[in-house]
Amino acid sequence: MKQLKALILCLVCAMTLGVAAARAEGKPERAFDPKEIIFDHLGDGYGWEVPFDHHHRIPLPVMVWAADGSFHCFSSAHVDHHAVYDQDGYSWTVPAQGDNKGKVVQILPDGSEVKPKFDISITKNVCALWIAVLVTLAVCMPVARWHKKHGFKAPRGFVGAIEQLMEFIYKGVIKPTLKQDSRRFAPYLLTVFMFIFIMNLLGLMVIFPGGANLTGNIAVTLVLSLITFFCTNLFARKHYWKEIFWPDVPMFLKFPIPIMQVIELFGALTKPASLTVRLFANMMGGHMIVIVLTLIIFIMADFGSAAVTGLATGVSFAFSLFMLLLDVLVSFIQAFVFTMLSTTFIAMAQERGHDEQHHTPAPQPAVNLE
Amino acid sequence: MELFTPDLGLIFWMFVAFAVLFLLLWKFAWPAIMKGVDSRAELIDQGVLYAREAKEQLDNAKLQAEKFEAEARTRQAEILREADHMKSQIIEEARAEASREAKKEMDAAKVAIEQARKEAQQTFRDEVSAAALTIAQQVVGQTLADPKAQAKLVDNLLDNIEKTN
Repeated sequence: MKQLKALILCLVCAMTLGVAAARAEGKPERAFDPKEIIFDHLGDGYGWEVPFDHHHRIPLPVMVWAADGSFHCFSSAHVDHHAVYDQDGYSWTVPAQGDNKGKVVQILPDGSEVKPKFDISITKNVCALWIAVLVTLAVCMPVARWHKKHGFKAPRGFVGAIEQLMEFIYKGVIKPTLKQDSRRFAPYLLTVFMFIFIMNLLGLMVIFPGGANLTGNIAVTLVLSLITFFCTNLFARKHYWKEIFWPDVPMFLKFPIPIMQVIELFGALTKPASLTVRLFANMMGGHMIVIVLTLIIFIMADFGSAAVTGLATGVSFAFSLFMLLLDVLVSFIQAFVFTMLSTTFIAMAQERGHDEQHHTPAPQPAVNLE
Repeated sequence: MELFTPDLGLIFWMFVAFAVLFLLLWKFAWPAIMKGVDSRAELIDQGVLYAREAKEQLDNAKLQAEKFEAEARTRQAEILREADHMKSQIIEEARAEASREAKKEMDAAKVAIEQARKEAQQTFRDEVSAAALTIAQQVVGQTLADPKAQAKLVDNLLDNIEKTN
């Protein structure tokens, strides 16, 4: 405990001195804009910040189809810091403001900006996505290898921990909800859980290879919830469609004005929307709070005295640490919630009607995946 | 707001990345893991069941053994009793058989004796009647010419004798 106190004191002193020193250096500072920093960190980018260096970025490939349909590929280093890059008669840049802020655009000879037809650049988020895929594979494959090699023996150590996590989802969420259909949908649901969980955790790491706000990006969560939406509706049973188009309600509610049908259809469509926004908002919120708490240091430093800055540093450090730890919890909870809701939605579409249940007491064999 | 408009490029890559990840895990990871987890759970369940049964059987074994012993003892006594019973029965039967046999022999002997006596009687009678006839012929002479009437007369006489005897 004493050591911990001493450590914290040292950290606070060091941070205070660091900030004071930075101010004393009298760098030509540009106006401090917290909003820009926050959105810069939360958003996507064509390069990836080199750890502890605000000016250099790890170059990533930019791949665009120009408005005239021609394909172009170049390093993001060429357009760093809003530079203009000329290649084969096409000029590209990333504007600092305007409608296309932060996006690669083509600059026509008359100076106007034209958005490319299609932009499939390997941005920071796409790169982080593939890193997350690799990490997920690296985490899941050893468990599968263990099971192929050792059969029923229980794995120990890291493999055992991951297996516990999978079993928690498989036995705790998927099996009780989906019952005889669980083997059919478990691969998708388990993949979703592991992938979201790992993306969440990678997002919490501050520097490369983490730090990309993946699950706090609406495109990522949208894709995941759309896949759940298609899984729900494409594999749905008769009963599900009957519940939507001819539910058991008094006739005047469904004919001639289809009130219930409209409500049910709207409900089916809001499910993926709620999934998208829940994960996106939770993760983005967590990231934003941590960044804002960190930025308190710089906001306070702008006001003046070293004592205030030092105090703010200590407070900010404590709160950021707390929020980051909380975000570790949130990472798991949100992955769990997304998986649980997906399972529930799919299970609702798999429900057999009461009549059907009575006529077919024997459960249908699950589709064998082997 | 840039944050709330999904980027098409990222959507495309997310689809591709997720598809790749899903296909790889679907092909190589989940079937093995699910099979392993399920079969292990089953194995553990069966193991616990087996152990419980084994303990129960062990607990019951002594009781069972005692029961078997008592049963064997009663069976033994029963068999002994039965043997005893059988012995006496056999003896009884043999005895009965012997007496029956003896009685049969005796009856046969009695019948034979009776027969012999009757035959002897008849013979004696014939001889006596013949002798008497001869005597009577000689006494009476040729008076009684008809031999049949003579025999009847003698017979009647003899019957009278027998009755008086």
